Amino acid sequence: MHSIEEVLSKKLYGLHYYNRIILPFKAHFLKVIVSDNIITDFSTNSKGIFIREKEDFTDVYFLEYKDIKDTLSKYEAVKMVIVEKGKDIFDFKNHIKLSLYLEGKHKVNIEESDHDIIFLE
Amino acid sequence: MRKNQIILIALSFCIIFLLGENVFGGNNDIAIQDTVTTVTLSEETGEEHELPELFMVIPFVTLLLMIATGPIFYHHFWERHYPKVAIALGTITVIYYLAVLNDSHSLLHSLAEYLSFIALLGSLFVAAGGIFVRVNKRATPFVNVLFLLFGAVISNVIGTTGASMLLIRPYIKMNRNRIKPYHIIFFIFIVSNIGGALTPIGDPPLFLGFLRGVPFFWVFGNVWYIWLPTLLLLLFVFYVFDSFNKGNNNNEEEFTGKIEFKGMKNVGYLVIIILSVFIDPNVFSWVPSLAPLPFGIREIIMFSVMFFAYKGADQEILKANEFDFEPIKEVAYLFIGIFITMIPALQLIAHEANLLADKLTAGVFYWATGALSGFLDNAPTYLNFLSAAMGKYNLDINVKADVLEFVHHDIIYLRAISVAAVFFGAMTYIGNGPNFMVKSICERAGIKMPSFFSYMFKYSIPILIPIFIIVWAIFFR
Repeated sequence: MHSIEEVLSKKLYGLHYYNRIILPFKAHFLKVIVSDNIITDFSTNSKGIFIREKEDFTDVYFLEYKDIKDTLSKYEAVKMVIVEKGKDIFDFKNHIKLSLYLEGKHKVNIEESDHDIIFLE
Repeated sequence: MRKNQIILIALSFCIIFLLGENVFGGNNDIAIQDTVTTVTLSEETGEEHELPELFMVIPFVTLLLMIATGPIFYHHFWERHYPKVAIALGTITVIYYLAVLNDSHSLLHSLAEYLSFIALLGSLFVAAGGIFVRVNKRATPFVNVLFLLFGAVISNVIGTTGASMLLIRPYIKMNRNRIKPYHIIFFIFIVSNIGGALTPIGDPPLFLGFLRGVPFFWVFGNVWYIWLPTLLLLLFVFYVFDSFNKGNNNNEEEFTGKIEFKGMKNVGYLVIIILSVFIDPNVFSWVPSLAPLPFGIREIIMFSVMFFAYKGADQEILKANEFDFEPIKEVAYLFIGIFITMIPALQLIAHEANLLADKLTAGVFYWATGALSGFLDNAPTYLNFLSAAMGKYNLDINVKADVLEFVHHDIIYLRAISVAAVFFGAMTYIGNGPNFMVKSICERAGIKMPSFFSYMFKYSIPILIPIFIIVWAIFFR
C-alpha cells in the first residue's frame, strides 16, 4: 500500500473504467469536484459517490455518470481534497488537493493541484 | 445522448430554414386571413403578422421555471436533459409560429439574433480562455474594490462578457483563501452587468441602439453620472460585506505583488472580436449583407476567431484555466430555448407598450424595461421599449433620422431604457449572458453558488433593488 506522498513523488497512476476510478492509496475524502458538481456527501446514502476501500487501493464510483471521461474535457481534472489515512483530519496542513487527469488506456495521472488551477477547499 | 442533442438542434434549425422560405418567397398570406384582429409590424420587412395568443408565453415561463428549479429539485434529470427540454419547448413555439401564425420572419429574426449572441459570447469565451492572468497580491476589501472597479471600466472596452471571462479566474485566485459566494455575486453585478453601461460595446442592448442610430458616445455622455454613483454605492456595499470577511488568517503565503499575464496572441483575437462588432451593414455601407442568411460577415469572423483561438492556444494555459466547452454549451442550449420561446412574450409586450405609450412616464419605462430585462434577454426588451417611447412622438425606430431626432428630442426616455436594460440584467442568472457562465466557472472551482431563487432573494433583491429605487427617485421620477 502506498502513501499519497509516495504516489505523488513516484508518479504512480490510478485507473479508470467508465464511472469507476481506482486510486493506489487510502484516504479520508473531504471534497470531490467533477465539472461543476461539488460532492461533499460521502455517506453510504450518497447519490453522487460511492467509495470502497480495498486492501491496496480505493475504488471511487461516480454514481451520476455513465462514463466519467465523457464529462471532462482534456484540460479538466477530477479534483479532490483528501487527507492521508492515519493523519489528523482537523489539521489543514494535512489537506491535500489532488487533480486526477483521465488519460487513454484507462490511466489516471495523479497530480498535486497546480498553483495555477483554481480549486478551493 | 450527444448525438440526440445534435439531431434535435439540427432539426429545429431545419424546420426554421425550410419553412422560412415563406419569408423569402413572399408567400405570407396574412392579409387574407379573416380572423386576424391584432397585428404586429415586422421591424425589417414591414410585413404584418398576427399577434400570438397569451397562452404561448407558457413555454417561455416553463423554461424559466425549469432553469430556476431544475438544479435544485431534479438535479439529475436537469443535468442530463436540459438541452432536450430547451429545444422541445422552443419547438412548440416554432410550430405555433409556422403552423398557426404563418410567421417565419419572427423566427428567423430571433435565429439571427441568437447566432449573433452566441458568436460574440462563444468567441470571447474561447479567446479569453487562452489568456492567463495571475494577480499575486493579498486580497483585501480595498484591493477587491479596485479590482471590481477596473473590471467595470474595462467592460466598456471589451464588453461585459469579455471582461467577465478574462477577470473571473484571477479574481477567484486572488481571493482563494477567503472566497464566499457574495464575492462572485458582486462580480456579476459590477463586471458582468452594471459596469458595461457606458458604451455600445459594453452591453448588447446598447449596441442594438447604436446600430439603430444612437450616436456611439451618447451613452457615455448621458449615463456616466448615473453609472458612477451607482457603481460607487455598490462598491461601498461590497466593501462593507468584505470587511467582515476575515478569511483564512492561518495562511502564511507570501505575496510578491506581481501581476502575471500570458497569452498575448489571444489578446489580439480579443481585439479582432471587438473590432468585428462594427463590421455591420448598418454601421458601414461597404459591408456586404448576407441576407437572407441569418448571419453576417461579423458572425463569420467571430466563429473563425473562435476556431483559431482554440486551435492555436497554449495548452498549458488551457490546462491552467481548465478550459472546457461545457459552460458555453450550457448557455448555447438554454439560450436557444430562451430566444425562441420569448418571441411571443416580447411581441405581446411590444404591442401593449405601443398601445400605452402615451401614458407611460420615464419612470414606467425604467421599471418596465428593468423588470423584463432581468428575465428576458435585455437586447430585444431595450428595442421594444425604445420603439414604444419613440411612438409617443410618431417616430419610427427603423428610420435612423427618426432615432437621431428622438435622441435630441427628449433624452430622459432613452436614458431610462438604456440604464434599466443594462443595470437590471444583474437581477437573475439569466438576465445577461455572462452571468450564467461566471456561475458555471465558479462551481468548477469548488464554490457552492446560490440557486436561482437564492441569488434573487438573498442578493439581487435586497442589494440591487434599493439602489435601483434611489436611481429612479433621483433621475427618473
